[in-house]
Amino acid sequence: MADSPALELQRVRRQFGSVVAVDDVSLAVGKGEFVTLLGPSGSGKTSTLRLIGGFETLDGGSISIDGRRVDHLPAYRRDTATIFQSGALFPHKTVGENIAYGLRMRGVAKAEIATRIGKALDIVRLSGYEQRFPAALSGGQKQRVALARSLVVEPAILLFDEPLSALDLSLRMQLRAEIKRLHDEIGFTAIFVTHDQGEAMAMSSRVAVMNRGAICQIDTPERVYEEPADEFVYTFIGESCCLPVQVRQGKAHDTESKALDLRLQQPLEDGAWRIYLRPYRLALGGQAAVAENRLTAQLAFVEFLGEFRRYHLRAGNLELFIDQRDGLSAQPGDRVEIGWASRDMRAYR
Amino acid sequence: MKGQRLAPWLLMTPALAIAILFFGVPTLVMLRMSFNLHPDGRLYVPGFTLENYTSLVSDEMFLTALWTTVKLALMSSVFTVVIGYFFALLVWLKPARWRMLFIALAVCPLLISEISVIFGWWMFFPKNGLLSYALVSSGLLSDKISLMYTEFAAFVGLVYLSLPFCFFILLSIFDGIDRRLLESSADLGAAPLRTAYEVLLPLTRAGVLVAFAQSFIWTIGSYATPSALGPDTLWTIGYLIQEQMLGKHNWPKAAAFSMVVAAGVAVVMMLIRRLMVQKGAFHT
Repeated sequence: MADSPALELQRVRRQFGSVVAVDDVSLAVGKGEFVTLLGPSGSGKTSTLRLIGGFETLDGGSISIDGRRVDHLPAYRRDTATIFQSGALFPHKTVGENIAYGLRMRGVAKAEIATRIGKALDIVRLSGYEQRFPAALSGGQKQRVALARSLVVEPAILLFDEPLSALDLSLRMQLRAEIKRLHDEIGFTAIFVTHDQGEAMAMSSRVAVMNRGAICQIDTPERVYEEPADEFVYTFIGESCCLPVQVRQGKAHDTESKALDLRLQQPLEDGAWRIYLRPYRLALGGQAAVAENRLTAQLAFVEFLGEFRRYHLRAGNLELFIDQRDGLSAQPGDRVEIGWASRDMRAYR
Repeated sequence: MKGQRLAPWLLMTPALAIAILFFGVPTLVMLRMSFNLHPDGRLYVPGFTLENYTSLVSDEMFLTALWTTVKLALMSSVFTVVIGYFFALLVWLKPARWRMLFIALAVCPLLISEISVIFGWWMFFPKNGLLSYALVSSGLLSDKISLMYTEFAAFVGLVYLSLPFCFFILLSIFDGIDRRLLESSADLGAAPLRTAYEVLLPLTRAGVLVAFAQSFIWTIGSYATPSALGPDTLWTIGYLIQEQMLGKHNWPKAAAFSMVVAAGVAVVMMLIRRLMVQKGAFHT
C-alpha cells in the first residue's frame, strides 16, 4: 500500500435527478499535496468534496483513501476532516471543547486531549481563547478554530469547503497565507474548493479546473495558467480579451462583416473564430511594430488603475483592453497598433 | 436621557395594559373571591376566611383529582414533546419541498375547535367507531372494542390538542440551527446517536422545555377534552372547579381550587425557567 495515493477518485459520479453534478471525475492526490478544485458555481466542485467527505452518496465510481475503499463508509467513519464555509463551530461548546470534540470521538485520553488543544491553538495563533464561546469570536478567528479543530485529529485528508469566501478581502489574504504556511510546516494532504482563482493559484501544488461536473485540466498553477487545456480554462483563469471574428478568404471581419486590419503569423482557416489575448501580454504603439501578430485599433478611453493603465480599444465593433505600466501619448480617437507573440494567443472555433 | 428610559415602557404599554386588564385583574378578583364565605345556597357571601384553602388539604376528592390531573398532564405533555420533537426533526431534515405539506398537516387541527375535535373522537373510539372497525377488518382483533370513555382516550385527546403548538415551537428552534453542525459532528467522527446527544439535544434543550411548558399548561387547565373522552371516574381539577361553580354554586371554593392550580402552574414555570437559564450562556 506504500505506493497508493493518499486519495484516489475513480470515475466518481453524482446525479441529482436529471442533473449530473459530478460527471465521472477521476483524481489522484499524493501525500502532502494541496489540490484545489477551482470552478464557477455549479461546476460540481463542492459536490465532489462532499462525496469525498461522505456527506453525499456516490451514484458510480469509487473513492479510496490510502488505498482503501471508503465510499461505502459514512462520514463519521472516514478519516477526513472538513473546514466548512460557515465554520460550523458548535455554538454551545467553548473553543477548547470544539477542538476536543474529534479527539473525544476517537477515544483519546483526557490528559493528551488537553495538550493537543494547547498545541492546536498555538498553531492557529489563538492561545488563550480556549474558554471562549464561538459567538465571542470574529469571523477570521472562527475559521481558525475550525481549522484547528480539523487539524488536531490529524486526518488523512483535510477538506476545505470555501472556508475563506465569507470573510472580507484583507482577512482572506491573511488567512490564505496562514493556511499555506501551515501546509508547508505540517505537510497535510488537502483538497481545497474555491471559485477564487487567486486563492487557487496562491496555495495549491496542483489546480483542478472544473466545469459542468468534470475536470477540464489538472496541473500546477503555472501550467494551468500558461498552457490552458481548453477555452474554458483559458477564460476562467486570469483576465482575457475575446475577439469574435469571421474569417472569409483569409481575411478577418468583425461581427458586422467589416474588414479588420488583422495580420496573423499563422493565418486562420475560413469560419467563425474566437481569438483570446491576455491584456498584459499585449504590446502597444512602437513595440507592436515588430510583433508576430498585429491589429490596428482605435483608442476609446483610458482607465488609471494605480500600478497600470488600462487602455480600452475598439477594432471594428470589437472591444478589447490592454494593461500597460508606461503612459502612452495617444489620445482617445487615435489609431494605434497592437502586437502580440503567437504563444500569447489562443484561437478557438 | 429621560425620554430614552421611558421609551421601552411606552412601547410595552398596550401589551401591558391588556395583560393587566384581562389577566391580572381577573386573577386578583378570583384571589379575593377565594377568601369569601359560602354559608348557604347563595353563590358567595363577602367576608374573609381561609376555610376554602384549609379544607382542601383534607379533601380527598380534591387531592385525588389534583394527582389525576397532574399525572395526565405530565404523561400527555411528555408524549406530546417526544412526538413533536421527532415530527419537527423530520420536517427540518427533509428537503424543503415537503415542508409545506407537513406544516399544513400540523395546522389542520388548529382550524377546528376543541368541541368539533371531541365530536371527531366520538366517531373514532366507540365500539362501532372507526378505530374498532379498522382493527377488526385488518384482522388484528376478532371482536369490536370500545376505547371511548377511557383514560387512554382522554390522554390521546390531550396529546392531539397540544401537539400542533409543540411542533411549531420545536420547528422554529430547529430552524435556528445550522444544519452543517450535524455534518461537522459526523465529520469529526461522531455516529448519528452521538451527534444527537452532543449537538442536537443541547441546542434544542430550551425549545424542548418551552414546548413542554406550553403543553403542560394547556393540558392541566383543559376541561372539555378529558371530561368528554375520559371515564366518569376521571375527575380532573377542571371538572371539580366546574362542579363547584355550576353544580354546587360554591364560587369561593371554585376560586380556591383555581388559585391552587394557577399557583402550581406558576411554580412549574419558574422551575422550567431556571433550567433554561442555567445553560443559556452561549447565546451571548
